[in-house]
Formats: sequence, structure tokens, C-alpha cells
Amino acid sequence: MGADASDLSLVRRVQRGDKGAFDALVLKYQHKLVKLVMRYVRNPAEAEDIAQEAFIKAYRALPQFRGDSAFYTWLYRIAINTAKNAVVSRDRSPIEYNIDRNNEESYDMQSRMKDSETPEALVLTEEIRSIVNGAIEALPEDLRTAIVLRELEGLSYEEIAAAMDCPVGTVRSRIFRAREAIDRRLREVFEGGLGRTEELG
Amino acid sequence: MNEELDSQLSAMFDDELATAECELLARRLSRDTELRARWERYAVIAAAIRAERGVRLNARVARRVSVIVGAEPALAAAAASGHAPRRWLRPVAGAAVAASVAAVSILWLRGHTVPGAVVAAPELAAVPASRVTAPAVVRAAARTAGPDSYVVPPATRGATAIVPATELANYVVAHSTFSPPVARRNLLSSFMTSEPGAAGPIALSTDGAQDPPRDAKGSAQ
Repeated sequence: MGADASDLSLVRRVQRGDKGAFDALVLKYQHKLVKLVMRYVRNPAEAEDIAQEAFIKAYRALPQFRGDSAFYTWLYRIAINTAKNAVVSRDRSPIEYNIDRNNEESYDMQSRMKDSETPEALVLTEEIRSIVNGAIEALPEDLRTAIVLRELEGLSYEEIAAAMDCPVGTVRSRIFRAREAIDRRLREVFEGGLGRTEELG
Repeated sequence: MNEELDSQLSAMFDDELATAECELLARRLSRDTELRARWERYAVIAAAIRAERGVRLNARVARRVSVIVGAEPALAAAAASGHAPRRWLRPVAGAAVAASVAAVSILWLRGHTVPGAVVAAPELAAVPASRVTAPAVVRAAARTAGPDSYVVPPATRGATAIVPATELANYVVAHSTFSPPVARRNLLSSFMTSEPGAAGPIALSTDGAQDPPRDAKGSAQ
């Protein structure tokens, strides 16, 4: 099992002209990239625009990507540069990301109030979060621990196996079953809500 | 859908799938819209668990990027049409240029080397004070890192020079800090002999004490 093998296999396909593989990479990293860009711009809509620009730049630069670093590391650098350039060109000062936990709620509210573009999207986002959180709460303890250690703590399967004192194969199975359980609850809302929001957006 | 396939997809999403399996699944993922929708929901679940503030969980970015990329030429086609740079070409071209420069330099140096040069060692300190001009003082300072003596061969009348040897000799001595001693000595020898009687103040021939000193432009003082 090679590090970054998943991304690299998709990248190689894109380099051979498979655009569907690039869609998969964008789907995987769009949220992380928007969050990253939000270190520099407050407005989520603007952050999405910058993230979109970064993805397009990455696509055009992919023939030069040799896989010396992880794909996300490479993408990360493109996004940071794109965000910095956007901030400079719009004559704004970058903001610090180190937000006090106490002020985080007000910061979130500020961001939302500035983003008057798609209120439906915000409602949908809250709905998705609520469903995911509810589904996680309903999971058996072992599945919940496995998925949380993976997604929240970013541990590898091997690390989770050591933490939970079980084989790696069991970890893989637990994470998959946790995802499936959450996905079953999510699918109904996601399939209907997403299309509706796109029409509005 | 096949549960084993979904399990593989989950492991691939976490970058925990073997490389060979990744290759197969990547191919399927790029073509199977249902599988990609599941992949998308896995990403949404991850973002929701991380509670990324301000990040909207609908797929606006992905859909917009997909539309833009869809309108662009595929990368393989772009590379085939010559848009992608040929990486191997750059070092090869560099080596070819370096080899050409080296060959031209060697041929040029050989063409200007005077066989049978007589070696003399007139020290600058031996020059009468009245004959030491300002450029000579500058050159004397430049000599500190250079050789103690210059090769001054006898004048050869047959030699021709494109540029007056005095100017070239002064130039070479002034830049002696940046040239290797051997090359400098050979060049200097050539310049001295290519223009009879115009060796300049620094080029002191054994019988040159009677010649008037010349400045950098070669004019007699």
C-alpha cells in the first residue's frame, strides 16, 4: 500500500485525459480547500470562487505534477498562492485564522450574514450536519470510535487498530460500516436537496 | 451495489487501499456516476464530522469546476499537441551549448598561441616610476591574485590582430581576477606579439625600455 496511492492513481488517469478522475479529486478535496482558503477571505462564496480557481489552475498544471509530493500538498500550495494573489488584487489584508473559540460563533454568524447569496445552501448545510451528527450518535460504540478517530483525528487504519486493539481489517470494516450507516440517512436529503440548491445557485 | 466494492471505495477514500486495487477502482470511479456520488457523500460526511465552519456542504465548487474542465481539452490531447514541455530536451540543449562554447574556445585559443615563445619575467616593480601610468597602477593591484610574471614572446611580424593587441592585453590583465592563470598567460602572449611595438605599459619586453608608454587606448604619451 503506497502513500497517496489513491490520489496518485486518479492523477495518473487525469494526466491520460480522464476528466472524470479529476471530478473525483475535486469532490474529495473541495471542502478542505474552501476551509483552507477561508484563512484568507471571510466570505464563503468568495472562498469557493478562489478554491474553484485553484482547482482549475491545478488541472492545467497537472501535466507538470510528477508525484514527488502528495497531491494534496501540491494542491494546497496552489490554493494558498491563489488565495494570497486574490487578497492582494482585491486590496485586502489577510485575516488570521487563529480564532478564539469564544468568538468562533460570532465569526461564523458574520460570515453567514455576508453570504447572502444562497440562504438555501446554508439551510441545507445545517441539515446535512444535523443528519450526520444524529447518525454518528446512533452508531454502535466501536463504529463511532473508528470513524471519529479517522475523520476527526486523522489517524491511519494502523494507528486506529493499535488504539482500538483490533486488526487493521476490522478497522477498515468498521469505518466502512459507519460510513454506510451515515450515508443511508444522508442519501435522501442529499439527493433531493443538492439538486434544488444548484438550481438556485 | 457490491458491498466489497463499496468497502474498497471507503478504503480508497482514506488512502488505505493497495496501489493495484486503487488503479482499478480509480478507473471505475471516473466512469461510474453512482460510485462517484457515493464518494462525494463520503467527503461530505468527513467535512460534517470535522464541523468545518463556514464551509457549505453542497457541491457547488465541484460542479462548477467540472463544467469548466469539461470545456477544456483533455490533458493527454494537450500533451500530444505539444503543449506539454519535453523535460529531457532542456538538459540536452544545455549540454550541447556548453560543448559548442568549449570547442570554439579551444579552437580560438589554439589559433592564437605563438609557438616558441620566449619567457621573460619583468616585474612591474622594475619599471621606472615615470613610466608607470594610472592604468598600470590599477592593473598592478589586479595582479595581486595573478602570476608574478607575464610571458612576453618576441614580436612576430606576420601575426594579424582583429583588435589592437594593446587594448586586448589591457583588458585581459584588468580582468585577470576572473580568468585562470594558464589561459591568461597564453592570451597575453598572443596579444603582445600580434601588434609589434604596441605592447602597452604592462607588457614590458626585454628591450622595451626605450618605447614610450601607452595608455589603455594605445596612444603614446
